[in-house]
Amino acid sequence: MNELYHLESIRKCYGERTVLAIDDLALAAGKLYTLTGANGSGKTTLLTLLAFLAPPSSGELRYGGKPVRWTNAALLSLRRQVTLLHQSPYLFNGSVFANIAFGLKMRGIRGEERRRRVERSLEQVGLPGFGHRRARELSGGESQRVAMARALVLEPKVLLLDEPLANVDRATCEHLEQVIVSLPGNGTTVIMTTHDPEQPHRLGGKQIRLVTGKLA
Amino acid sequence: MKSLRGAFLAIIALVVLCSAASAEERLKMSTTTSTQDSGLLRVLLPPFEKENNVKVDVIAVGTGQALKIGEAGDVDVVFVHARKLEDKFVANGFGVNRRDVMYNDFVIIGPKSDPAGIARAKTAAEALRMIAAKGATFISRGDKSGTHVKEKELWQAAGIQPKGSWYIEAGQGMGPVITMATERQAYTLADRGTYNAYKGTKTDLVINFQGEKGLFNAYGVIAVNPKKFPHVKYDLAMKFIDFVTGPAGQKIIAGYKAHGEPVFFIYKK
Amino acid sequence: MGFLSDTFSTALDLIASFDPDVVNAVSTSLGVALWSILFATLAGVPAGVVVGVTEFPGKRAVITLLNTLMALPTVVVGLAVYGIISRQGPLGELGLLFTPKAMVIGQTILAIPIVANYTLGTVKGADPRIVPTALTLGAGPLQSIRQLVQELRFGIMAAVIAGFGRVVAEVGVAMMLGGNIRGYTRTMTTAIAMETGKGEFALGLALGLILMGVALLVNLFLNILQQR
Ligand SMILES: Nc1ncnc2c1ncn2[C@@H]1O[C@H](COP(=O)(O)OP(=O)(O)OP(=O)(O)O)[C@@H](O)[C@H]1O
Ligand SMILES: [Mg+2]
Repeated sequence: MNELYHLESIRKCYGERTVLAIDDLALAAGKLYTLTGANGSGKTTLLTLLAFLAPPSSGELRYGGKPVRWTNAALLSLRRQVTLLHQSPYLFNGSVFANIAFGLKMRGIRGEERRRRVERSLEQVGLPGFGHRRARELSGGESQRVAMARALVLEPKVLLLDEPLANVDRATCEHLEQVIVSLPGNGTTVIMTTHDPEQPHRLGGKQIRLVTGKLA
Repeated sequence: MKSLRGAFLAIIALVVLCSAASAEERLKMSTTTSTQDSGLLRVLLPPFEKENNVKVDVIAVGTGQALKIGEAGDVDVVFVHARKLEDKFVANGFGVNRRDVMYNDFVIIGPKSDPAGIARAKTAAEALRMIAAKGATFISRGDKSGTHVKEKELWQAAGIQPKGSWYIEAGQGMGPVITMATERQAYTLADRGTYNAYKGTKTDLVINFQGEKGLFNAYGVIAVNPKKFPHVKYDLAMKFIDFVTGPAGQKIIAGYKAHGEPVFFIYKK
Repeated sequence: MGFLSDTFSTALDLIASFDPDVVNAVSTSLGVALWSILFATLAGVPAGVVVGVTEFPGKRAVITLLNTLMALPTVVVGLAVYGIISRQGPLGELGLLFTPKAMVIGQTILAIPIVANYTLGTVKGADPRIVPTALTLGAGPLQSIRQLVQELRFGIMAAVIAGFGRVVAEVGVAMMLGGNIRGYTRTMTTAIAMETGKGEFALGLALGLILMGVALLVNLFLNILQQR
């Protein structure tokens, strides 16, 4: 197994409460994982950790074989390989295009290539020609899909999806599931949370279950 | 970001436009309020400014404060009216080349009805005694100005320490005090120049007492000492002094009238 | 009645005829206030953002201090700056007293806490997802803060405008540090304060009307921005 993440004795605490306690978990590159568990079981907390957005309270997180150093300089290059689609995503005030192009801009990708990639990602989520729309004027499901496009456009090594299909209509849901399933084929690691009991079976891949912060 | 930057650029552009206008040399002068409030400076300064391509910045405050600002070296020239203070200013090394510029006199103004009857007084001190005895409202400049200094001298001569609800210390310039006296129908000591400028349109008070020797009011101009404050524009200050005491300036002063009456008088050479 | 309506029509005439005294006072007021708010923005916005997004010991004390400074009496600022820039003060050599620059210094000091505080409030009330979203999309720490500022642009503009409203309407600093020099440091407020006392009531009224117009515009802007 080509190990990408390795969590050892990871604890995440808020005050007295320990909301995540994972003693040993390895995640392989180029695989699809589904992450399930009740509300408050720690799914979002885990994804935030894997996205290098917040350090654990204790324990060691290894990425690509090396321990993660939680310093700004080290984190920037790590974060550019990973992207997290938030459970209720925040769209920047501006056009849909500007939102999707943001990550590309940060990576110095501009001009024709940027435009092409933004358009392709919009097609991927079934919103072709939405580039000029104002992000704040989209419907809930449309916002969710734009946020998905904003993550997909980066073609990251790791895609962390926190309930990406919660607000999405039936037909689009099926279409996006196809997109998600196809990603590991291109070497992308996908870790996705869901409350739909059927979804893990439909998507295949490995299932991780959390119960009050612990692996079940 | 674009709109933010745009707003910023617009502000900068506006600001630059607003400030592009000021480039010529500036002479700073602190002066008593009466030279400004009487309107004299409006006719006296422009010819000098034009001739020397300079702007005179007038800071009009009481004589006491005008001299204080000079003592701090914050102005180049002072134009005031309190001979004793002026002499002290020069003696203490803050100023040089004091020159007489002009004179007028102080008058006691008050309501037409003259409730204290001071028109019958023989001297200014007696007039003040009558006002105090009657408890008629009197407004004092209370700002250490030349007029205020003179007023205090007069109270002293009257042997009275003015106190009580009838005696109001305004802490303001000559103009505002005349306005205040008009509103309160009170007496006050004013220089004739400012009073003339206010008479009729801005005040209905009349001169109740005038013409005593002790009410003489002389104005002097003094350059701030360049030995003490090397930064002062001494040459320019001297040019100004020469101008106001020279024929051109003296002619303007003598010719300046408010409501058809002369305001200041020049010394016969 | 006659006095008021006469003054009123004289005031309107002064405005309509672009009376030089009115024009000068208005342009000095706006010019000084704009310079001040420019500097106050350059200092206050970054200060507000930094205090808002970082955690450091003594942060509460800094916030309390900023709040206190916001209520700084203008005459106290005038007094302090006067002492510093007078020829006898430490910065006396610069010869700043009784110039528009002196007023800009004083008004900048007045405006910084206001701009910083309102900016801080906007940052504290910002959506907590903004910075993590920028970070996970590959922004560096500085870029993410830039994005935060961009998202909060209306709130920050409101902070700047609030600061402008304060300085354009203040009289203490302008009077003490500017000296009310006609055509140079005489602003709308100093002219109203001094000239009205001298019986130039129409001039005062004309400037008062314009000042109210400015205040109205400022508040209109604020209102529009706060609605976004
Ligand atoms: N900032 C925080 N401060 C305190 N407690 C927190 C914080 N964030 C999360 N928690 C707590 O941590 C626990 C795990 O939260 P998490 O968001 O990971 O749950 P989840 O599995 O994603 O739930 P859901 O299915 O509702 O999205 C919850 O009990 C939550 O209340
Ligand atoms: Mg969650």
